[in-house]
Amino acid sequence: MYLYLPVALTSINILIPVGLGLAVGLLSGLFGVGGGFLMTPLLIMFGIPATVAAATDSNQIVAASTSGTYAHWRVGNVDFKMGFHLLIGGFVGGLVGVQAIKILKAMGNADFVIKMTYVIMLGVVGSYMFIESLNAIRKSKNKGEAVTPVETKDNAFTRFLKSLPLQTRYEKSGVTHSMLLPIVFGGFVGILAALMGVGGGFLMVPVMVYILRMPMHVVVGTSLFQILFNCIEVTFLQAYTNHNVDFILAVLLLLGSTVGAQIGTVFGRKLKGEQLKIILAVIVLVVTVKIVFDLTLTPSLLLAQAGGH
Amino acid sequence: MFNIQGSKLSTLFTLLICMAVLLVSGTASAMLTAKANHDNIKIDFFYHGSSVSVSGITEPGTDLVIKITSPEGHETLKEKGKVGGLLWMNVGTMKFEHVSNLYSVHSTKKLEELLVPEEMDKYGIGYKAIEKQAVLDPVQNNEEKAKWFSEFLRFKEKSKLYASSNGNIEMKEKDGKQSYYILTQWPYQAPPGDYLVTVYAVKDGKVVDQAESKVLVEQAGIVKTLAGMAKNKAALYGLISIVSALGAGFGVGLVFRKGGGAH
Repeated sequence: MYLYLPVALTSINILIPVGLGLAVGLLSGLFGVGGGFLMTPLLIMFGIPATVAAATDSNQIVAASTSGTYAHWRVGNVDFKMGFHLLIGGFVGGLVGVQAIKILKAMGNADFVIKMTYVIMLGVVGSYMFIESLNAIRKSKNKGEAVTPVETKDNAFTRFLKSLPLQTRYEKSGVTHSMLLPIVFGGFVGILAALMGVGGGFLMVPVMVYILRMPMHVVVGTSLFQILFNCIEVTFLQAYTNHNVDFILAVLLLLGSTVGAQIGTVFGRKLKGEQLKIILAVIVLVVTVKIVFDLTLTPSLLLAQAGGH
Repeated sequence: MFNIQGSKLSTLFTLLICMAVLLVSGTASAMLTAKANHDNIKIDFFYHGSSVSVSGITEPGTDLVIKITSPEGHETLKEKGKVGGLLWMNVGTMKFEHVSNLYSVHSTKKLEELLVPEEMDKYGIGYKAIEKQAVLDPVQNNEEKAKWFSEFLRFKEKSKLYASSNGNIEMKEKDGKQSYYILTQWPYQAPPGDYLVTVYAVKDGKVVDQAESKVLVEQAGIVKTLAGMAKNKAALYGLISIVSALGAGFGVGLVFRKGGGAH
């Protein structure tokens, strides 16, 4: 059955958005990512204008991350304090990122910088997570016990972090950090996410795992919590200033994604932290390879719909 | 005196005009008619495009060209190019002026067999003619213009907004009259607006008559309400979108909880 989308101005078979929502929602519940880096290109592939795809995706992520956060909160996997501090940083970073895009556009090489940032960040994060979790899985197999990741290597870095002011205890995560740490790194992710036009979950998750040293299951729940608030803000701004949110498309997507997020959460509990990390790493690397292919192969059409602003 | 003469003159003038109109319409055969069966297409919730048939009567021995267009306008599209000789990305925008968003042309035979190029240009019939009318920016020379216009055609044909065919118009002769009929698929990608169907009767390489019909495409029902709200009540629309998403996420969470976490 086909439905007409009033803002995207196109007609779509309802099975497509519901199916896409289910798949990406599953990843969301499993890994604590919004999945924008997968969903937006897929929607464009199915004929949704790029700007509407990105804006509507953020609207459906509100639903998927509510569903996911709720599921994770029930099992005690959301560190609200950490999430709140990351949000402060992310909010400021987002504002900086939007200004950076304006400057880049004025300089005329925005697209190049954005694409390169995207590929490099995805590639580096994916490779690092892949290698690290592979090592961890090997070690745990050898020793038959849980592993604390690369603790000895960066003692100086750890000492530096401990010397920062405003040290505070994050109970749910079981870590003590300066509250500046999540704010600064949240800000860093916010800048990059705004630059790349994505939610930044795939960057936030590694920051929480490797820098904030949070346990993977709490990472997933907390990441979804802060994604929820980011996407509420983005959805409102997109609807208010750009008129790009398609309500019908969002509803179709969230029909799948809210259910997917619940299923993902349940599956996630059955997997170990290292297993979750390595699967996410593989997905991130596959997306990187796909983008590299898109950049190097001659496109079928040399013209595309402009952003429209 | 002057008044009487004036009124006589104006009567004479009116008569002359009437005669001229009769004469002109007479030479243009006055037989061609055009009717689109579906002149008001409503875009509703379940809209997935439509079909429009064009039919009418024409003088025997003439060929036909049927053109469906939206009003001329301009479009700005992203242009892809190679950066550093290796990577494909958006390198700028290309502006197309004096082009229609929708353009389809159907004819009884190949256009080149029916019309001399001057006539095609005059009436904007065929891709070559509309290329001549179009203004592209930025292009350095005609070669570049031709390259980017052909890309424009490929882009438009892929989104089903441009089409051309020949030999699909059914012709039947009866009682010294020739009737024609064509069924065209109306693409769902065509946005709301006024569209013009022009039928040209063609003989000996020239257009000898033409007739027009209109197709109005408009949004209706929930599609119209939502599209209007997204534009005119953007803040409310945004809030409703967010609250619905929150509600749906929470609701599904509750359902799964009630399900006892069976999944």
